[in-house]
Amino acid sequence: MLTSIIKRDGRVVIYDRNKIKMAILKAMEASGSTDFEKADLVTQAVEQHFNMQNSYATPSVEEIQDQVEHELMASGLDNVAKRYILYRASRNTIRERKSKLVKVFDEITFSDALDSDVKRENANIDGDTPMGTMLKYGSESAKDYFLKFLLSPDQAEAHRDGYIHIHDFDFYALTMTCCQIDLIKLFKGGFSTGHGFLREPNDIQSYSALACIAIQSNQNDQHGGQSIVNFDYGLADGVRKTYKKLYLKNIAKVCDVLGENVSYEQLKEMSAAITERCGAMPKITPDKTYVALELEELKKLCKDPAVAEKAQKFALEKTEDETDKATYQAMEAFIHNLNTMHSRAGAQTPFSSINYGMDTSDEGRMVMKNVLLATDAGLGHGETPIFPIQIFRVKEGINYNPGERNYDLFQLAIKVSAKRLFPNFSFQDAPYNLKYYNPDDVRTEIGYMGCRTRVVANTYDPNNEITYGRGNLSFTSINLPRLAIEAKGDEDLFYRNLKKYLDLCVKQLMDRFAIQKKKRVRNFPFLMGQGVWIDSEKLGIDDEVGEVIKHGTLSVGFIGLAETLTALYGKHHGESEEAQKKGLEIIGFMRRILDEYSDRFKLNFSLLATPAEGLSGRFVRIDKKRFGEIKGVTDKEYYTNSFHIPVSFEISAYDKINLEAPYHALTNAGHITYVEMDGDVSQNLEAFEAVVRCMKEAGIGYGAINHPVDRDPVCGYNGIIGDVCPRCGRRDGEGVPLEKLHRLGLYKHLNAATLGQCGNQFEEADRIPNKI
Amino acid sequence: MTYNPDTQMVGEGVKFERIRRITGYLVGTVDRFNDGKRAEERDRVKHDPTKC
Repeated sequence: MLTSIIKRDGRVVIYDRNKIKMAILKAMEASGSTDFEKADLVTQAVEQHFNMQNSYATPSVEEIQDQVEHELMASGLDNVAKRYILYRASRNTIRERKSKLVKVFDEITFSDALDSDVKRENANIDGDTPMGTMLKYGSESAKDYFLKFLLSPDQAEAHRDGYIHIHDFDFYALTMTCCQIDLIKLFKGGFSTGHGFLREPNDIQSYSALACIAIQSNQNDQHGGQSIVNFDYGLADGVRKTYKKLYLKNIAKVCDVLGENVSYEQLKEMSAAITERCGAMPKITPDKTYVALELEELKKLCKDPAVAEKAQKFALEKTEDETDKATYQAMEAFIHNLNTMHSRAGAQTPFSSINYGMDTSDEGRMVMKNVLLATDAGLGHGETPIFPIQIFRVKEGINYNPGERNYDLFQLAIKVSAKRLFPNFSFQDAPYNLKYYNPDDVRTEIGYMGCRTRVVANTYDPNNEITYGRGNLSFTSINLPRLAIEAKGDEDLFYRNLKKYLDLCVKQLMDRFAIQKKKRVRNFPFLMGQGVWIDSEKLGIDDEVGEVIKHGTLSVGFIGLAETLTALYGKHHGESEEAQKKGLEIIGFMRRILDEYSDRFKLNFSLLATPAEGLSGRFVRIDKKRFGEIKGVTDKEYYTNSFHIPVSFEISAYDKINLEAPYHALTNAGHITYVEMDGDVSQNLEAFEAVVRCMKEAGIGYGAINHPVDRDPVCGYNGIIGDVCPRCGRRDGEGVPLEKLHRLGLYKHLNAATLGQCGNQFEEADRIPNKI
Repeated sequence: MTYNPDTQMVGEGVKFERIRRITGYLVGTVDRFNDGKRAEERDRVKHDPTKC
């Protein structure tokens, strides 16, 4: 008689037939079967089987489940059996994961980041610090919980088995990815960080400080990087205010020196009154009416009218230069802050990006020039700044051709990028970017988030096809090479499975969206509470964000188009025109499906060329285990980034750009093309510019050029270092004789005694100034 | 900066910094790349710009 069973942990418990029956009923429900009375019959059959065995051995849970499967199929309930098996498998892996989680914790606790891939999952988080480690525990446990309890079994299985990858999975039920911050809107009237109120800034210094705080605050409300969409227009107001302040102070100074009793406060009142009358104020390119009216008023204030003239002349001559210097200092501080400030429990420097390039005002130009010069100069010891990612908007008529107003800034951007890797270049004239552009509305200028994310179209609200205040909600990538390998050359099968996983991803994004939708403004004190996200200013603190986040995008990404094409057709798109055609068909197919979903749900589904930092290694590891080493597919340690031509493939920059450009038009959630240049490109700016122009002409949306940037901390050399440092002649890790450094004009204030005391101090005086 | 009084050498054990771009972000040293990306960086070849 079946009276007891052995549980997995070895305990013997009393047999309960209801447990079998309930499991069968659940499987029936999931498969849509209504033969509920058969649940009883199957249970009886299972009992009969064990009773008939005529043995006194107590069966185990596993043996009973095997028998249930057998009986379900024997009764013709194939679909129910399938559900039962799936459920059983998922429970098994969940149990397995319990112990896996413990193993991960062991790794986090006891190994160095150098030896642990888990701890290097994100290159910008220091996995060895206490806060970095703490975040890792949280992140790994959250993933475990979400996988077990929030995902549907088919989604969990697809994610676990590496068919899809749900990005930022540790934040699954918490927040959204990113947002393009509009500084003008944020600063107007001041804002609150949740820890205190900040007044509307009044000079460029505080503008730049508050811009950093905005990025930092928002980074704590979202799981992705943060971007300022209008760095030029946004900070130009700060320059305007600084100019006005310095201008009036200059007048006051001259008056004071020449014995007039005119205070700065009086001048402020005077200036405000003139602005009231003529609408103009002191600015870099002086307004003639203002200047004339001001002189009249100044003469009334001064005893000696000649002093009034002198004072105004002095202010008109000197203030621009002073404002320029103040702006440089503000930009320098901005970059230094972004490279040293911390977010997320102190473990991470905020991922920051800034977009600029098209503001043609004097003040906006001053901001851009100085942020570029400060980037060129580098950090305290001349190091290349890691943050922010800078994105220079290239636009014909504004900065692309000689004679255009911002052409000088485009040239400077090229020069700085050739030395510091930033800025990257975004192209407003690419047809799919130009189509949204309205010269009368700066909010339609294209914006990219650092790594590539792009949001502009708006199916939910076609009146708001803008970049400001919007961002991505979440994204999930498909393992394209896996589908290609499994299709074994059968194109139809590949497309059927691709459709299947696109549908699955859309369903999963919708499920995640349903969770995000229920969040309230109070969950995002900065992003929503301060009106950073579009329309959030219309909500109260306890309102749900469901409606306003519909402005965001839900994106499906992909990785390894090159390996996919190789698996399906034997060659990748760099090797054959036919493969390129096929590649565009695959990516075009994905885009079409997502467009259909957008129309159907009136939401913004979009297609992403996934950046895939951790993912590039993860997918291929699983696939290599499953399918073995397949030449050109699983034979490397990574899958190729999105639609890129494989990094190891010999190809000219021109061909690479032109092969990749058509994919930019299809990947509306974001894309980037890289060109790798050799040697010291700062000595070959013509070639560098030619590559940028080539990108623009080919219809690239967003591009960047990689080149070696090395630095020797011992002598401060910045440039390319092969095996030997060109300045001090040492090899990696070797020492340099102090005497030799002295001969090079370095460390000249230091000797054997003071070097020890100074520790890591690198004397300011010893630095070689960076020529601009 | 490290200084070894015995050898009168500066900077022993100090490594060169090699700034590289990984998925859009710059990283100060490849030491912090994960295994896949480290391999990817190693395999990168240069693109001849002359046709541009």
